[in-house]
Amino acid sequence: MQDLLYFSQQLINGLTIGSAYALIAIGYTMVYGIIGMINFAHGEIYMIGAYTALIAITGLTALGLAWLPLILIVALLCAMIVSSSMGWAVERVAYRPVRGRHRLIPLISAIGMSIFLQNYVHLAQGSRNVGFPALIEGGFNFSADGAFEMSLSYMQITIFITTLICMTALSLFISRSRTGRACRAVSQDLGMASLLGIDTNRIISATFVIGAALAAVAGLLLGMYYGSVDPLFGFIAGLKAFTAAVLGGIGSIPGAMLGGLILGVSESMTSGYLSGEYKDVVSFGLLILILLFKPTGLLGKPEVEKI
Amino acid sequence: MTTSLKKLVTAVSTSVALMGAGHAAADIQIGIAGPMTGPVAQYGDMQFSGARMAIEQINAKGGVMGEKLVAVEYDDVCDPKQAVTVANRLVNDGVSYVIGHLCSSSTQPASDIYEDEGILMITPASTSPEITERGYELVFRTIGLDSMQGPVAGNHIAKQNPERVAIVHDKQQYGEGIATAVRDTLKDKGIEIAMFEGITAGDKDFSSLITKLKQADVDYVYFGGYHPELGLILRQARQADLDAIFMGPEGVGNKDINTIAGEAAEGLLVTLPPSFDEKAENQDLVKAFEAKGEDPSGPFVLTSYAAVQLVAEGIEAAGSKDPFDVAAALRSGSFETPIGTVQYDKAGDMKSFEFVVYEWHSDGSKTPVN
Repeated sequence: MQDLLYFSQQLINGLTIGSAYALIAIGYTMVYGIIGMINFAHGEIYMIGAYTALIAITGLTALGLAWLPLILIVALLCAMIVSSSMGWAVERVAYRPVRGRHRLIPLISAIGMSIFLQNYVHLAQGSRNVGFPALIEGGFNFSADGAFEMSLSYMQITIFITTLICMTALSLFISRSRTGRACRAVSQDLGMASLLGIDTNRIISATFVIGAALAAVAGLLLGMYYGSVDPLFGFIAGLKAFTAAVLGGIGSIPGAMLGGLILGVSESMTSGYLSGEYKDVVSFGLLILILLFKPTGLLGKPEVEKI
Repeated sequence: MTTSLKKLVTAVSTSVALMGAGHAAADIQIGIAGPMTGPVAQYGDMQFSGARMAIEQINAKGGVMGEKLVAVEYDDVCDPKQAVTVANRLVNDGVSYVIGHLCSSSTQPASDIYEDEGILMITPASTSPEITERGYELVFRTIGLDSMQGPVAGNHIAKQNPERVAIVHDKQQYGEGIATAVRDTLKDKGIEIAMFEGITAGDKDFSSLITKLKQADVDYVYFGGYHPELGLILRQARQADLDAIFMGPEGVGNKDINTIAGEAAEGLLVTLPPSFDEKAENQDLVKAFEAKGEDPSGPFVLTSYAAVQLVAEGIEAAGSKDPFDVAAALRSGSFETPIGTVQYDKAGDMKSFEFVVYEWHSDGSKTPVN
């Protein structure tokens, strides 16, 4: 019983972090699916989302607002708007002018954008860790006769539910809406879609905006869950989310979700049963193993090579 | 932010100006190398403010051998690679004395260059024993060693008769070094170490680690590392209802841990150098800092002040500006500084330096623990 509780606790920890990775991974995978490039500045968009949410929360609390759901919704909207505009602008400034050139050019442009955004936040917000107020506290505790108590915090539940809502909404959007259908068409064949009258530039912008909005949601959630943000906040998370996207099959939206969850759980299980020192070794080892046997990732289509 | 930007601009323009002007003026350049930006910049602030104050006061008293001291500031971001770049720039700029670096992992590679190039280095903050273990002639410090701080922490934990102790570190030279010293001390006292584990500096999610600590049912957790990680661990541990007493080295003892951990920082134990700013003989100096609007209470402010003072007095005692003569003078003399009487052994370590256990509070204040 004791061991089962411990296992469940580590599973919950892993799923929480994994669902947040999945939210960020969507941005990588959608952009790759459509224009076949890796948007390395995506981690920074997520970090800017977290900062915007923090600024909004601080501002609203200073204004004397006390009703928590309202604070969270306003902060979420602010973060999503700022991050989306940032995602849109990044595509406009750094990727569109070099689209269609040699593959390395947009890649370098993306890395440059990532360094620029990181340093911009360094200058604008300072390089120190900034504490995030703990808005959602408490949770459920489960305990057997033993001393170990499993806890499921409200924050973790919030992360699960929000991720679930976002993912469902995204799937519905992609499968049902007009823009979603255009997205699928563009990802299958950009040139053909354009010949058939789809405004491909608008669709590409839309992918960046959607990816950035989801990253902003993850920024707010993880900022609150971890408790602090700093300008390097996006770097590691971006790397992990990118890994999740590759693991699940880059270009595939369900793949990003699956990849995120697998990565999160494998990290927490390694820390839980082996040692925290090995968690990156195990998760990246897993990535290599999966790519050896399924080079396109778990749910990736065996398609023409793109990179 | 504006202050760190200004500092950066000042540092860059100072060094540019100095490169341009050569050494026409008969000034003694004192290099100050430490993090002005990056996650541990607040320690850099302590270092720079202490060193600047010392230079200002020494100049006000007429300088050293009739010459003024001039500060040349460098930002190493507490990054070993950046520290090497900074060290090479110091060599190019013709600086003969360095106050720095701050992080042990930066000091170590930079000191290789200083020793080779004949530059005298005094670190006001690096506590890793390895820095002075290499038989270097020009490397000194105005702070104790991990090997002194670890046993103080270990003995304190042992005195409380804990049942199970966990030791966590950030796998860096400083953190792991101190954590190992604590482990060895506890083992000698026959106390069970339930866990000895590393985390990755820069990690944000410690839920798995905390679950493990809960499972192991520990009553003390020692963390070797810096505040950004411990702050998050404290906060996440509190949310997960982990009931243990946390302890850390001086790398966690600054007010930024309160902005991260909030209420959860209450009751944290920290080993720190004694509060030099509370000593009666330092009250004039404390007033001078306060008049400038600076806080002298950080652990590295007065150690940096003392480091500059030692360079100045070393030059005067040696009667020469040659770093090797100054080093010999430092080893043979005894100097009165705000951190007490300083005497050096052959390695470049202070013959005595004590660490004290403090209890940290959620408002950023601290009280000594006996």
